[in-house]
Amino acid sequence: MNHENQKVVFLLDGKRTEIDFARQQALTPDTTVLNYLRSMPDRKGTKEGCAEGDCGACTVAIGECGPDGTMNYKACDSCIILLPMLHGKQLITVEDLGRPEALHPVQQAMVDCDGSQCGYCTPGFVMSLFARYKQAGETTHAELLDGLTGNLCRCTGYRSIMEAAEKACAHKVPDHFNASAKEAADLLTSIKANTPDIAIHTSGHRYFRPSALATALQLRAAHPEALIVCGATDVGLQVTKQKRSLPLLLDLSGLDELKRITATKSGIEFGATASLENVKAHAKDVFPALYDMLSVFGSRQIREQATLGGNLANASPIGDTPPVLMALDAAVVLSSTNGNRTMKVTEFITGYRTTDLKSDEIIAHVLVPHTPTGVVVRAYKISKRKDLDISTVSGGFRIVLSPEGIVQEIALYYGGMAAMTKRAAQAEAFLLGKSWTQANAEAAMPLIDAEFTPISDARSGKEGRRLMARNLLLKFWSDTAITTPNPTHA
Amino acid sequence: MSAAPKPATVAAERVAHESAQLHVSGHATYIDDILVNAQLLHGHVYTSPHAHAQILSFDLEAARRAPGVFALLSHRDLPGHNDMGPIFHDEPVLAEGTVNFVGQAMFLIAAENESAALAAAKLIQVEYAPLPAIVTLEEAIRQDTKLQPSRKIIAGDAKAAIEKAPHRFSGTLKMGAQEHWYLETQACLVVPGEGDDLKAYSSTQHPSETQALIAEVLGLPKMNVEVEVRRMGGGFGGKETQANHPAIWAALLARKTRRPVKIRLFRDDDQKMTGKRHPFINDYEVGYDGNGRILGLEATLNTDGGAATDLTMAVLERAMMHLDNAYYIPDISIIGHARKTNLPSNTAFRGFGGPQGVAVIEQVMDRIARHLKMDPMEVRRRNFYLEGQPTPYAQPVINNRLQMIDQELSATSGYAERRKSVDAFNAAHVFKKRGLAMTPVKFGISFTTAFLNQAGALVNIYKDGSVLVNHGGTEMGQGLHTKMRQIAALELGLSLDRVKVNATNTSKVPNTSATAASAGSDLNGAAVKHATDILKARMAEVAATLLSAGKDTVSKPEHIQFRNDQVFDGQDPGRSMDFPTLCERCVFHQVSLSATGFYRTPEVHFDREKGKGKPYHYFSFGMGVTEIELDTLTGHVQLIRTDLLHDVGESINPNIDIGQVEGAYVQGLGWVSTEECKWNEKGHLLNHSPDTYKIPNIQDIAPDFRTALLQNAPNPNTIRRSKAVAEPPFMLAFSAWLAIKDAISAVGGHQFEPEFQIPATNEFILISVEQVRGQMRAQAKA
Repeated sequence: MNHENQKVVFLLDGKRTEIDFARQQALTPDTTVLNYLRSMPDRKGTKEGCAEGDCGACTVAIGECGPDGTMNYKACDSCIILLPMLHGKQLITVEDLGRPEALHPVQQAMVDCDGSQCGYCTPGFVMSLFARYKQAGETTHAELLDGLTGNLCRCTGYRSIMEAAEKACAHKVPDHFNASAKEAADLLTSIKANTPDIAIHTSGHRYFRPSALATALQLRAAHPEALIVCGATDVGLQVTKQKRSLPLLLDLSGLDELKRITATKSGIEFGATASLENVKAHAKDVFPALYDMLSVFGSRQIREQATLGGNLANASPIGDTPPVLMALDAAVVLSSTNGNRTMKVTEFITGYRTTDLKSDEIIAHVLVPHTPTGVVVRAYKISKRKDLDISTVSGGFRIVLSPEGIVQEIALYYGGMAAMTKRAAQAEAFLLGKSWTQANAEAAMPLIDAEFTPISDARSGKEGRRLMARNLLLKFWSDTAITTPNPTHA
Repeated sequence: MSAAPKPATVAAERVAHESAQLHVSGHATYIDDILVNAQLLHGHVYTSPHAHAQILSFDLEAARRAPGVFALLSHRDLPGHNDMGPIFHDEPVLAEGTVNFVGQAMFLIAAENESAALAAAKLIQVEYAPLPAIVTLEEAIRQDTKLQPSRKIIAGDAKAAIEKAPHRFSGTLKMGAQEHWYLETQACLVVPGEGDDLKAYSSTQHPSETQALIAEVLGLPKMNVEVEVRRMGGGFGGKETQANHPAIWAALLARKTRRPVKIRLFRDDDQKMTGKRHPFINDYEVGYDGNGRILGLEATLNTDGGAATDLTMAVLERAMMHLDNAYYIPDISIIGHARKTNLPSNTAFRGFGGPQGVAVIEQVMDRIARHLKMDPMEVRRRNFYLEGQPTPYAQPVINNRLQMIDQELSATSGYAERRKSVDAFNAAHVFKKRGLAMTPVKFGISFTTAFLNQAGALVNIYKDGSVLVNHGGTEMGQGLHTKMRQIAALELGLSLDRVKVNATNTSKVPNTSATAASAGSDLNGAAVKHATDILKARMAEVAATLLSAGKDTVSKPEHIQFRNDQVFDGQDPGRSMDFPTLCERCVFHQVSLSATGFYRTPEVHFDREKGKGKPYHYFSFGMGVTEIELDTLTGHVQLIRTDLLHDVGESINPNIDIGQVEGAYVQGLGWVSTEECKWNEKGHLLNHSPDTYKIPNIQDIAPDFRTALLQNAPNPNTIRRSKAVAEPPFMLAFSAWLAIKDAISAVGGHQFEPEFQIPATNEFILISVEQVRGQMRAQAKA
């Protein structure tokens, strides 16, 4: 084995940093970036608040060199990113922002606006804000709000933090990262050129991070038992929460070809490892329902890492994307060394956290066809907190109405109501061919009760879930109906 | 002759949090950031998987022999008492004989790292005989379990008043637990010193108690145990008593191994093991007249104290003493029961029972208004205390700011006009409803256990004119150290950069009270001032002598003033010297530049048996107005606008006080809406991580969020005429809570009383809306 492949190389504080897993034992390929940082005496600024990507205290910025040679920076939760995923990237922590002579503008704004009280969440907020400060062009209020959704603060009540964010981004000035961006980009380009692939083999761990799909498929065939990881927003929790060691990992995050998002004649082909943030941006004008769902999916930090392929492969009954992808009639392209096969998402997910993925396959693409004229698709998510929460009940609904308002086609996919995403078939059958009226929608609501037996758990009781599922049908009606609602019916 | 120095203006200038620069640059140090040598061991707590069980036997031998394990302790290995109860002695350090809740500490492991500790924990063998467990407050009430004798506060004859009243109703209000969710979980690092010495770096609000309990459990004199707190990553009451636990555990392991040991609870473990805001189930009956004036009220409060008493009795007492909130109720009876369950012992949390009392009367006001078809704020206004009226515990309400705040906030928030626009919106929308509410708070400031109202300070002035302030209070983000620094600088006439506040340390200021009850600035600020007064008096003597040298007249010490880093004769400001020079000369003249200060709150007392007294030094007041929009189909609540007006007397630091008001409100918002703790039938907490426990995030606040401090309302008899702030504004969130109820009520055209509780989660709201719709349908049929 090529010894070079055992090394992960990235920039830390602008300096080339190498981790040779073959030569030391404290760090393993399943070490999180947070634990790596906190193992160093001068990197204690990045905090652990929850170790599950739900609080953002561990937020760091990760700089990547884009195809055009410019650096772009994204905020990520370092608690769930695995160390080798930094290969060919620039890791920026809160300690790197200021210079001896002055704080960074985002830091100074936090001081000026009283954005910190106990200070423990502050480095995370600073880094999320830094990523928004560094984005190209203006940063809008909505982008700031979205950019800080993944950071919890228990002291301030957020108003002061928002004020700091507005203040910092109102007049962006070049910072020292601008000055060193060219140098960083060149270093990163050379790292990727020198060692495109990583293959770590130590006594307790094997870790593969191929850069070409063909290599990935060979590795998949050779190591069918390997755990596939890409954004690690779910896999990372096995390390941090279940305290498990991950002895064999196949990391797809180096496959640039699966990150592409391509418009085709029939729709959009989303690379399975494209970040959800990127998927969201591309869905905005074409698939508003998908965009709506991704707008309340996790947080900015999570969406920068998480992928459509990962969300589907998980096949969680409370996954956010399956209901809307099913309603959009999406399909997955599964690749192996033997070629590709395409199947509908509805067929791909087979049960509670099970799919039709074969042991030599990976999800390569998700195909979302254009929504034909006359077809209306909506997505809904009910959660205890609107943002950065997991669905209690979700819905991906599709309807076709005749000019007279008759239901010609209807599909009601529910999440959170069964062991897998499930259609409300009886309600659909009832509504098909009927007028899309409030009375008919309400008459269909009890049928939803009849066909689901949801569970009670930390998020809601089963009766609450039934009520939510019924209500979502009414909400879908009110959002798509031509007639006005009647309060006495309600 | 130089120009007369300008008056000091530190308090009038904007002063940022003293650690703000460290916070934003990642250089502020918390327990887990302290650099320790390679001998550091990882402390792990092995906890009970049962809510209630007899421990038949346990075998630790295999675990003790596991690789990387340095110590494994059970209750048999305790050198001192097996008790860590802060007041009542009913809380074992390590389980002995029985376990009483899921998450109770049983054994302690010190290992070279976390994975070695976890591997060893798997080798521990315990045999249990499960016992019947009580895991709900309802069941505890049914079985009439009690932690301590019940309490009562009675004024007049409530029963008779209710019977005579033209209108009456009764009801029950349920309030859930709230997890503190301090960002920094419970943590302590203990480093053994020479001999019997131990130094604990603890994230505690009560270093003196942490010190005392470590000493008692280890069987050491307190002089051997030093506790230091630089800062906490949030406390909110959760580290008032329960930070003692990891400190004691880490100290036991450090003493045993003679190596530094750190225990930092993993988030899920912290949520499972530690106590929360007390859940309450409160029954009430009220009688009132046609004008909405309350004539009599009877209330029975039941709180879930958990498996041990902890601070439950004081929390219950404060709930009882805040049931009146801002309203004069002539005839009132309040009974309080502290119920024992098999859940972690519930503990202090911002408001300390106050919110669980206030919620009842605010619910009552809201119900009266609906019955009488009046605006709820008008009902509140008619019941407000007038100056000097007595509370149920016989303390007159003086320096009452209610009318002043009402007048100002009603105007600035546009409450009356917005009530009309909310009604208009609701008439035009079926599935979306808006709600609006304005609620007040009156909150008593002082520990109700009178002797706790004391504080100490130690101020050291060095030869170079720099000043190190030590005081008994702890910094948890509330800005206490910032205010103490300002007070010392103001009193000594120095610029802020000459003054530093030290980490809180039991060897500098002993026998302190917890930083709690919102009283940190009041108590410690007065103690700091006492110390600086002593120092100034000593230094003035030296200055008078020095400034008189070679002059015809003698400068008198009583005329010496300290301002703008200068010391001068007020009668002849030309006679001046700079502060550092005077410091150096004081040392030369053999005058001590170190002084301790002390403060005790005057005239507070409370007779628990009679339920009467003057438990509070003064009252704080505030009001909030919140408007929300409810999606009645998803239960989603969006805040539209929040207006807060709060009374902090003359603010020592307005920006810090505004931060406290806003932070408290949003924390309260979480408790009344999205934060829900559920335990399963076996007593396991279901919401044990932020995955399922949802505190507010940045999207949950109102895009239009206005906060102001009441002006021209100095508080007599406190440090710089200021008032406490931390807790009272928590209760301003009831304006959001009742705005949600207002929106639910709007579904039925305000004809039906909606079911309501805390928290009003989206699930609960949907069920309540459904019931209102059911009542509408029933009425339509009838």
